Amino acid sequence: MCLCAIVLSVAQTSPPPLPQLALDTYPAAAREAISRAHRDAAAQSTDADTVGALGRVLHAWEQWDGAHQAYARAQALAPRAFEWPYLDAIVLQRLARHAEAASRLREALAASPGYLPARVKLAESLLEADDLDAAQRAFEALAHEPAAEPAAAFGLGRIAAIRGRHDEAIAHLQRAVALFPEWGAAYYALARSYRALGRADEAVRALQRHQQYGPRWPGVEDPALAAVSALREDARASVQRGVKLAERGDLEGAIAAHEAALAREPSLAEAHANLVALYGRARNFEKAEAHYRAVVALGANLGTAHYDYGVLLGLQEKWDLAAEAYRRAIAVNPLNAEAYNNLGQILERQRQLEAAAETYRRAIDNQPTFRLARFNLGRMLLALGRPDTAIAELEKIVEPRDAEAPRYLFALATAHVRAGHREVGIKWASDARQLALEHGQDDLAAAIARDLASLK
Amino acid sequence: MNRVLVRLAPALIVVSVMPGRTGSGAAPEELFVERAAAAGLAFTHVNGAAGGYYLPEVMGAGVALFDFDNDGDLDLFLVQGGALDGSGPATSRLFRNDLTAADPRRPLRFTDVTARSGLGLRAYGMGAAVGDYDNDGYLDLFVTSFGPDTLYHNNGDGTFTDVTRQAGVSDASWSTSAAFVDYDRDGRLDLFVANYVDFTIAANQVCSDAVGARDYCGPRAYHPVPDRLYHNEGNGHFANATERAGVNKADGAGLGVAIGDYDGDGWIDLYVANDATPNQLWINKHDGTFADLGLLSGSAVNAQGNPEGSMGIASGDVDLDGDEDLFVTNIAGETSVLYINDGHASFDDARARWGVALPTAAFTGFGTDFFDYDNDGWPDLLVANGAVNVVEAQRGQPSPFRMRNQLFHNTGQRRFEEASAAGGAAFARAEIGRGAAFGDIDNDGDVDVVVTNNNGPVRLLVNQAGSRNHWLAVRVTQAPGNRFGVGALVGVERAGRPTLWRRVRTDGSYLSASDVRVHFGLGSSPLTDGVVVKWPDGPSERWTGIAGDKLVTLERGTGGKP
Repeated sequence: MCLCAIVLSVAQTSPPPLPQLALDTYPAAAREAISRAHRDAAAQSTDADTVGALGRVLHAWEQWDGAHQAYARAQALAPRAFEWPYLDAIVLQRLARHAEAASRLREALAASPGYLPARVKLAESLLEADDLDAAQRAFEALAHEPAAEPAAAFGLGRIAAIRGRHDEAIAHLQRAVALFPEWGAAYYALARSYRALGRADEAVRALQRHQQYGPRWPGVEDPALAAVSALREDARASVQRGVKLAERGDLEGAIAAHEAALAREPSLAEAHANLVALYGRARNFEKAEAHYRAVVALGANLGTAHYDYGVLLGLQEKWDLAAEAYRRAIAVNPLNAEAYNNLGQILERQRQLEAAAETYRRAIDNQPTFRLARFNLGRMLLALGRPDTAIAELEKIVEPRDAEAPRYLFALATAHVRAGHREVGIKWASDARQLALEHGQDDLAAAIARDLASLK
Repeated sequence: MNRVLVRLAPALIVVSVMPGRTGSGAAPEELFVERAAAAGLAFTHVNGAAGGYYLPEVMGAGVALFDFDNDGDLDLFLVQGGALDGSGPATSRLFRNDLTAADPRRPLRFTDVTARSGLGLRAYGMGAAVGDYDNDGYLDLFVTSFGPDTLYHNNGDGTFTDVTRQAGVSDASWSTSAAFVDYDRDGRLDLFVANYVDFTIAANQVCSDAVGARDYCGPRAYHPVPDRLYHNEGNGHFANATERAGVNKADGAGLGVAIGDYDGDGWIDLYVANDATPNQLWINKHDGTFADLGLLSGSAVNAQGNPEGSMGIASGDVDLDGDEDLFVTNIAGETSVLYINDGHASFDDARARWGVALPTAAFTGFGTDFFDYDNDGWPDLLVANGAVNVVEAQRGQPSPFRMRNQLFHNTGQRRFEEASAAGGAAFARAEIGRGAAFGDIDNDGDVDVVVTNNNGPVRLLVNQAGSRNHWLAVRVTQAPGNRFGVGALVGVERAGRPTLWRRVRTDGSYLSASDVRVHFGLGSSPLTDGVVVKWPDGPSERWTGIAGDKLVTLERGTGGKP
């Protein structure tokens, strides 16, 4: 009996083992980074910082199970440290183990009660683990922290919605989008609550915003996590950084990150392919062309490369060459709707209107939701003197009434007038003008107004 | 099996009595026993992978469970991959179930009848759908492929004829799951085909995993391809109704499809699971068109507004409140999701509350369905799991995509509990699970499961658990149209307990077709108050005097008023 108790006691206090890693199976860059950290951790396996450093490296390379194991050991070795349970919680969130993550976050906050990102993550984990009462208390406490207020409003809105209190949910969620106007997820939650209350029009408008903004999310600065991300200096991490910089509009930074990636790994097709587009946007056509040649030589990602090269040539107004590039993109992928659309625009420019119309139709066949291609087809049909057919196409793109819609409505108005439906045309033109004004498209609204005046 | 004709006022019921196994002694140790090889199912899927990391290699393939020869037992069609260009010897296979209705004591045994049947499809197959599209009383077969799809007409004599060209259902897009459904109530089964992405071998993208090793790309490396809806014109020909019906108004990389009446208006809707793109809930507008209510319904994306992996679908009344709920399998790190319906197509993401989030967090799920494996009346759940990207712990090993399958027990308390350990060795083996089809293969009164593995052998999970409780299997028939009553809703009324509702359908799961008969677990009592059938075109009928532990065939026009 006594022996059993002792064994149990030892088992309870023994830190978890270091992760077992098949280091030989990793590519060179990862192997080098992970091996070094693993070797250090094995040599100093009771030193929390060294073991935690292994966790950080594995975390940076997205080896979630290994990172969790290393962090857990580090935490067992240094129970009062903040960063090991905190980083472990982030890994556990990534593994969708939210209740465990909440537990780790509580431990982290015991060590560092003021660390705001940990408080936000705790509230989020509690919500995902369906512990609504605790989540609500956590979010309510965060509502007084300016940096965390958007997260608090969103969380409280979600909790109210789950409890069926949609009026209350809407108030919280409206606050969330007021604080962070491009929060797609908050608009999605708003749409659901509007629908629950029968407010259909508002629901549809909120959904449009959700689709417009997608995954944009208000961040809370997190130095502990940033230190993990900074550990990656390999080519692929550079590409990822470059892509993020490009999304933020930092063209120079994006190009530099991609070039840094190629300096480490010259045959990284993804980097070459991205640089075709990035240099194209920077109007450095010579460099863009060089990277296009590199992608073709590598024989990878060809569909994207031919398409981007077509865009590049179009920017230089080399229309015949651009058309050829799009045809190559289509040969690689016959379902490439964008390539068909862009090829159609070149054919249109060359006054090959029938061919352009057919090409736009192929784009739509491949991607029926491609509104721009359908708009282009509608325009072509008008140019070819087929307003009735144009009306049939253009009627399909009048919804949603987003920023794209005014010109589609105006094209539909024109088609009706050409078809002899003057009054219907005037109505659509009026709608187009009103919508253009709502979207701040004053020039378009003025142009429509002039046409309306002449029609009347 | 004895076939008896029983007349019960006011309705005529054709009852096929099958041997009940209730009260037959001690409970078996394992809920399921794997018997594919023992039953003669010699089939191994070949994915053709040769280092090119072509996306179709990790997606297939499926299975169809259907009684092609109308002899009263479920036969098996297994979809094969092979070489991606369609060359090579690998073919899909048809296995005839030799159980035979006449002698239920015979051991479960299948015979490969592919050659005689004409179903040796030589294509890079993906999935299968089953339905009697020409109303001749024999179930036909539609096979989706990476490449043109194929419609096989069941000739009723054990052979099939490729009628794809005449039927007009050839589509070169990469198709995945499909469903036969009479969406316009004209008595003819139409066909919905989920299409995936615009991958071509020439346009193959080079992708790598987190540590920089070459890996399969995700769907976001390509563009979604529009799904297809074919309207059955009644003359052996289908018309492409995709645009007319409006089901091309939303994009999605389609992998799973299920039919159900999710808004409770009596008309069949369609639910499509889209990989990394919002799922679609196509609500039937009663005029041959559909409107996508996915996002507003809450069944399209997660609570953060983000689309998930969405592969397989289970559709059914999981909480016995009379409406159809949805379970969708997702990729590891996302958790599978249970959407609880309020009866009006507004869904609550109940994955955490019902206990399915945490157990599925580490798994990439594909084939799935609700089925009452222990016949206690509550729909349980099986998930066939297998990764599409290298599993961290299996790095460097052959086939590093292996995962074990999972079994979940519905406690009846709005909660699922994982029962994989009780499920037996079949749930401990890690393979690359994909398709799953459900049906009582040995006609012993409980639901068995066929699971397909990517680049691996088929598994036949024979249920050992159902004998603990009573059950009722129902086959509905009508004439002249939609002979198997696909889309009908069957309800078993029980005194003092909620009515059990099951939809007659073969779709759902992933790339697979399940038994068209509906199965009810009745718990400790074989008695029912009545059986109600809501026919797909609206009217309802009710039968009384039906006790459990047998298969009953309910013919339209022989029931009373509900």
